[in-house]
Amino acid sequence: MNYANFLERMHNIQDTYGYIPECEIDKVAREFNIPRSKVYGTIRFYSMFYTEPTGKYIIRVCDSLSCHINESKEIVEVIKDYLGIDNGETTEDRKFTLEIVECLGHCGEGPVMMVNDHIYTHVSKTMAIEILDKCV
Amino acid sequence: MEETLFLKREEVKDINNYDFPALKKALKMKQEDVIVEVKRSTLKGRGGAGFPTGLKWELAFKEAADKKYLICNGDEGEPGTFKDRYLLEESPLKVLEGILIAAYAIGADEGYIYIRGEYAKPIRVFSRVIEEAREKGILGENIFGSGFNFDLYLVKGAGAYVCGDETSLINSIEGKRGRSRIKPPYPVEKGLFDKPTVVNNVETLASAAEIINQGADRYLSLGTEKSRGTKLVCLSGDIRNPGIYELEFGQATLREIIDDFGGGLKNGSGLKFVVPGGISTSILLEDELDIPYTYEDLDAAGSSLGSGAVIVVGEDHDLIDLMLNVSRFFMDETCGTCFPCREGNRQIYHMLKWKKNGFTAKERQLIKDIGKTIHLAARCGLGQTSLNFISSVLDKFEDELMVRGDINVEG
Ligand SMILES: Cc1cc2nc3c(=O)[nH]c(=O)nc-3n(C[C@H](O)[C@H](O)[C@H](O)COP(=O)(O)O)c2cc1C
Ligand code: SF4
Ligand code: FES
Repeated sequence: MNYANFLERMHNIQDTYGYIPECEIDKVAREFNIPRSKVYGTIRFYSMFYTEPTGKYIIRVCDSLSCHINESKEIVEVIKDYLGIDNGETTEDRKFTLEIVECLGHCGEGPVMMVNDHIYTHVSKTMAIEILDKCV
Repeated sequence: MEETLFLKREEVKDINNYDFPALKKALKMKQEDVIVEVKRSTLKGRGGAGFPTGLKWELAFKEAADKKYLICNGDEGEPGTFKDRYLLEESPLKVLEGILIAAYAIGADEGYIYIRGEYAKPIRVFSRVIEEAREKGILGENIFGSGFNFDLYLVKGAGAYVCGDETSLINSIEGKRGRSRIKPPYPVEKGLFDKPTVVNNVETLASAAEIINQGADRYLSLGTEKSRGTKLVCLSGDIRNPGIYELEFGQATLREIIDDFGGGLKNGSGLKFVVPGGISTSILLEDELDIPYTYEDLDAAGSSLGSGAVIVVGEDHDLIDLMLNVSRFFMDETCGTCFPCREGNRQIYHMLKWKKNGFTAKERQLIKDIGKTIHLAARCGLGQTSLNFISSVLDKFEDELMVRGDINVEG
């Protein structure tokens, strides 16, 4: 078994289910011939893998220094308010998960947010709401 | 003032129109001669540690092994840094060329490019480049009829800053937690799957390709004696024209970078301080900015060039809020192997979180002590540099931050 495929495999499971369920952990453990506890430990190490279901849209807002200076906190507050959830939570309808994250590599264009794979730069408060509305 | 374009030249993005001039040239040279050329250029690693690239290649070349690996480190995660993303999106063919040249030089027939999971677009761009390169025989067997075989695989990171450290990165590619390994052995002796491995930054490899292409002499004609060539500077923060600027070392002072290239501060605000190399470096004040942008001058000023992230901070921000922000980064991103790095960064975060009034001399001493302990115990650069920002803010703004009459403290 090529262990270099492990992360890719996890990404695929995460993308399919929105999280990494028990049954898949079992399968992967057998396939790669490593204990389940190790698979679980590895998954938990990486912040993009979840062991609980997430929303259809994962909203990531950068709050690292360059974006913080550009008032990313305001964007975070608007989104929290609008969705009624806190950092790390998922809405009841399983539509949105909110994550305040570190640098997304668009530091010159802050504030920055990501919706699944899509990046938005120079985000204003109204823009943030519009982006969320488009998902609904 | 103009940029010095060594890396950032007209970019061909269509593989059908790209001739891979540097690779073709390298494949006609002996492996040793490619290494000599890169050594002669004095290129230093652009991932933050600044290790001489030619020497790294030579060490790996000299290892006798049935298998060697080349890894391109595209895990860019230091807040304020976005140059590798720029190169992966705008010059992927040059990055690929650098990877192939390095692999050829050290004698690797397999390689990985590790790109952080959040970089969706660079991942898309580079996956396509790999596919097309395979179709055209630029990856695979007998590349350009030279007898050199090499294949490249892309690994997507999954959200862990510490995986940018080369030994953590290797663990991550092996499907493990991204925790650092004890060195020695260094990756050039025992790296990926215990085989000799060179890990190089994206910008380093792109520069190496241009060095082969334009020649070490051209490179040596740029920069200062101790810092040759050019650097991609990532300018962000309270700045009018943020972005990536390619500068010859020594061409501009930090102040000129901010004023001439960056157009000065946004909204006419005054300057509070500058973070010259990403948030793991010490800050510089307004009156410390008239120094040439080189490795040696930033070191002499008590800071570091780091990853090339220059973050400009205007005067309207609350210092404790900024310290808290940086502290949270290190608390969240520590891998937890070394107790002082894990617990120390947490302690400091909680101290800052409840801070309303100034620091007492005792608190300041505590921060210094924790800093020293982390530094001594840290196995990797994350811990070692985690308190540079906070300590330097505390030192340089003591009038503002300390409780009155409580400033003096033993160092
Ligand atoms: C916590 C930590 C994070 C790092 N992140 C990166 C990174 O994102 N990209 C990178 O190229 N190097 C990073 N490095 C440096 C690498 O360990 C390594 O020195 C570098 O990839 C070597 O390439 P170079 O010689 O071309 O610079 C990091 C180091 C540490 C300690
Ligand atoms: S210094 Fe910190 S991040 Fe580095 S290995 Fe130790 S605990 Fe992990
Ligand atoms: S600091 Fe927000 S994208 Fe880099």
